[in-house]
Formats: sequence, structure tokens, C-alpha cells
Amino acid sequence: MGRLLAWRLSRQDLEITLFEAGSLAVPAGACWAAAGMISPLSELVHSEQKIYQLGLRSLALWEPWAAELEALVGRPVSFRRAGSIVVAHGRDRAELPMFVRELQSKLPSDSAADVRPLDRAQLQKLEPALESFETGIFLRDEGDIDNRRLLPVLLESLRQQRVTLREHTAVTCERNTIVTEDAQYHFDCVIDCRGLGAKDAINGLRGVRGEVLVVQTNEVQLQRPVRLLHPRYQLYAVPRSDGSTVIGATEIESEDLSPISVRSTMELSSALYSLHPAFAEARIVESRVNCRPATMDNLPTVHCEPGLVRLNGLYRHGYLLAPALAEQVEKIIAQQLSEVA
Amino acid sequence: MATQLSLYGKTFASRLLVGTALYPSPAVMRASVEASAAEIITLSLRRQNPEQQQGKILWDYIRESGCQLLPNTAGCKTPREVIALAEMSREIFATDWLKLEVVGDDYNLQPDPYGLVEAARELIKRGFKVLPYCTDDLVVCRKLLDVGCEVLMPWGAPIGTGQGLLNRYNLQTLRERLPDIPLIVDAGIGAPSQAAEAMELGFDAVLLNTAIAKAQEPVLMARAFKLAVESGRCAFEAGLMTKRQTASPSTPTLDMPFWQQVAPTEP
Repeated sequence: MGRLLAWRLSRQDLEITLFEAGSLAVPAGACWAAAGMISPLSELVHSEQKIYQLGLRSLALWEPWAAELEALVGRPVSFRRAGSIVVAHGRDRAELPMFVRELQSKLPSDSAADVRPLDRAQLQKLEPALESFETGIFLRDEGDIDNRRLLPVLLESLRQQRVTLREHTAVTCERNTIVTEDAQYHFDCVIDCRGLGAKDAINGLRGVRGEVLVVQTNEVQLQRPVRLLHPRYQLYAVPRSDGSTVIGATEIESEDLSPISVRSTMELSSALYSLHPAFAEARIVESRVNCRPATMDNLPTVHCEPGLVRLNGLYRHGYLLAPALAEQVEKIIAQQLSEVA
Repeated sequence: MATQLSLYGKTFASRLLVGTALYPSPAVMRASVEASAAEIITLSLRRQNPEQQQGKILWDYIRESGCQLLPNTAGCKTPREVIALAEMSREIFATDWLKLEVVGDDYNLQPDPYGLVEAARELIKRGFKVLPYCTDDLVVCRKLLDVGCEVLMPWGAPIGTGQGLLNRYNLQTLRERLPDIPLIVDAGIGAPSQAAEAMELGFDAVLLNTAIAKAQEPVLMARAFKLAVESGRCAFEAGLMTKRQTASPSTPTLDMPFWQQVAPTEP
């Protein structure tokens, strides 16, 4: 969130400093562990209308922003707007109509066409690898972005825009002031996007553990994100342009950052295996664990006062919400700076 | 006014127990618990790495409800796992109440009757107040009572299925054969009418989670279940009428001569 916002603001004639608690190459936040899904429709089943509205706005913004970043830096960020597919395996087939019913009940009537049931032939045509499934659902208005490409591209764009970068620097954020272990820095405005690092400032902020596996195989390749419905878990597989597949994500009410558990590894890998048996021979090349910063209502929070904006609680919706929230904060900052001037 | 629920020496006005998982957010969970008027709430800590207390923020948030906490052992498959987790949850939540779960089948989370009895025996020795989640099998229920459980929680249907009371005969048998034991129908309840049905059968309470947490409006559904459980209990205590084959007018039909009032033919 911080990096995206810094890039947006750097396009204006502003002097910007970005503080990163971890390393710039491998940021400490959930953004690095995420799968980069931008799925306003499928998230609507489990969240409020506000997430859907912000998500649609983000989806619309990602397209031109991704193109602008790619042109600026000359490297791809692999934004894809190919929709997503939802399937359910054998015994869980009853989950599919339930998913559609819940989604339709929350969707505005003019968006009903965004949820399209697929028969076997239609499913095969869209996603040939899902040959063992009889039915599925196509969610048209969804996308994803390769965060492992986007974050380095954003960093490069900040360097090009002459943004001052300070890594391995944990901070506290106050009005007009950033406080580090050994110094204080004064600014016209401070934007606090510290995620779980902002617990000192945001009441009820909690971490929700998420675990993700990355696998590599040449035998089977999905074309777009696929969700596998299950009565208790929300699982998805996201194909990456380098041939890998990211599969996630557990959701555990804990701030535990220890490595992935055997149980989660089995759940995630068996979900992947059930999409296509060839995934059995895929190699697990990485496991990722991080905690999503969430408020008690699981909605994002934007707090602003003169000289300070706090933005937090993006929960499991980082890439879904970031552009829409960045756009809002850009407006807030413009207003604050005009008052300072 | 219906009578109060009495479990392990404590009394409760509400006969609805609710879970705290699967809600869209902790805030919705808390509002739903409030709307349900539940006084006993279950919570799970198996996957939270409880030794490190990393789920503390949410646990504290749940604790603020003021309800009797009923930590569960969901996800445990052996008595040994159960006991380790039970001791940890007693320390964390400062309560010896425990919803005992021993998973016998991973897919439908069916309880393992052998593991249940073994775990319950040891937990009771260690001073826990055990509320076992069990199947509706009379013999298993008796064994659980033999080892010292004072409350039983037979399933209506497998967890999360919303199928209601799948085996009414077994449930009625339990009620008739164990008239003095508090019996709570735990799991499988999908609709308020099913909760009311369990209460009308004379069960002492109902425990559920998914039907509220996964409703489109969980807070409203929590209220629906509150009303249904109250309604079912009042009906049970008031005494339900016996079903009859034909309508029987409650006032004499004076305008009809008796020879035309033909007696109904029994089927």
C-alpha cells in the first residue's frame, strides 16, 4: 500500500520519503506473501458491499496504472483481467449453487451477468486443465497481478522519481513527524501504512495468519485464478507467468509467523491436486507465511487529521483495495497540502 | 416463563449456545452473540499456536462478551492431543469447562466414540467439566455418563451440514432413556424451525454456529434462533397436544343434527 501510494504521489511535484521496516527487496508486510488476486465478486460472498465497490474501482484503476508502470520501468507487472473460475469437487458440489445464490443476492441486478454458470464443455473451453469437473462458474469481472513483479517495478519507479528510500527502519507515525529509533523527521504530511506495525495507533488491529504455497510444473498450466469451494476453507490457485502456481490461503486467527504447518501444507496441496492430478508431481518451490492486518469489522480504515493520514486494515484484500484507497488518499493529501500552502 | 438451564451447577436463562467461528468479521460475531442472547459460547484454538498466545487479541475480544467460555478441542484426533490442548485452554481462559471433540472422520468431522470416552475419563480425573460432542448412540452416551460426564451433546447431523435432526428416533430414545441428564443438540442445525423441533422434543438446549455465522444477515439469524429456542422450550414445558387424525371442533356444532355428525372412519 505504502509503495503504491508513494508512486502515485511521486507523479506530482512532491518530495517524498518512504520508510520500510524490512528490506526494500523483500518487504516485511503481507504484500510480499499474497497471491495478488483482484476478485471483487468472489470476495463479496464473505464481505460487505463496500469491499465490492472499492474492488471494482481498483480493478478499473489497475489496468491504466499497470500500463503506466510498465512503460515507465520497462518491465512487466503481469496484470491480467481474464476473470476467474470457481469449481467444487465431487462431494462439495452443493457448495456451487449456494455460492451463486449468495453472490446473486448481494450483487446489484445489472451485474448478474458477471456470474456465469458453466457446463462441462464451456468449462473445458475456458480452462482445459479442469477436465475432471462437470460444472463451474465463470466470474467475468476479476483479475490478478503478479505482486512479485509489481513490487520491484514500483520500487524502480520510486528510484526513477527520486523518492528518498530508507529501509530497515521501523518508525512510529505522528502528526507531521516520523520517529525512528535514533532520529525525528518532519514532513507536511505523514502517511501511516504500517499494517500490523501500527498497533500502537489503531485500536483492535489484529493479524490473521495466512499460508501460501508456490509450486512449479510444466505438466499443467491454468489460464486464470481458480477457486475451489469447500465447506470450511477458501482455497485458490493462481497461475503465474513464470509457470509457477500460487496456492492459498489459510486463514487462522493468530499472529503466529512461524513456518507453514504440515496440516496447512496438506490442505493446500491436496486442494491443488484435486484440480488436476498432474499437480502431484509439481515441486513445492516456496512456502509463504504472513499476517494480514485486520480491524474487528474486517473493513479498511482511513483516518485523517491535519499532518497525518492512517491507512490500515486491508485484511485479505490488499491488491483488491489498494488502488481505490490510494486514489482516496491522493485526494486527502492534495486537500491537506493546499491548506498548508 | 420457561425454566432455567442448569449445567455443572451453574444456571443460565438462555438455552442457546453459539460458536464464534466462520463469521464475516469479529464485530459481526460479537453483535450476533449479543442478538442470540447466548450465555455460553464455544471457541477453538487448535490451529492458533496457542502456546505462543498469538490469537490473544481475538480471544480477549470474545471474552469481553461476558459469556461463559466453552473452549473446544476441534481438530484433535487422539485423546493425547485433546488433553494437551485442554490443559492449555484451561490456563489461557481460566475455565475448566470444555467442549470435548475427538474427530473420528476428517470429512464429516464425525466424533470418535472410543476416543471420546477415553479422553473424557482422563479429563474428568483432571477436574474438567466436560461437555462431549457425541453421536446420538445411546450406548456411547451411557459410557460417557459412566466416566463422569454430567452433560451430553449429541449431534443433530454432522457439523456444518444444516440437515437438522437426521435421526429423530435416536434422539427421542436418548431423551426418554436419560430423562435427568442435560442433553444439548450440538451441530447440524440449519434452520430455526429445526432448533425449535429439538427443544419441543425436550432437549435442554441447542448449540450451533454455521447456521448463524454463514447467514446473509448473521445478526438477524441469531435473533431468529433465539426466538425459536425460546419458543420450542416454552412449547415443551407447556405440553404439546397429541396429534389427531381428524379435525375436532372445540365447540359443539349446534346447528347440525346429531345423525348428520358422522363419526370419522379410522384409516
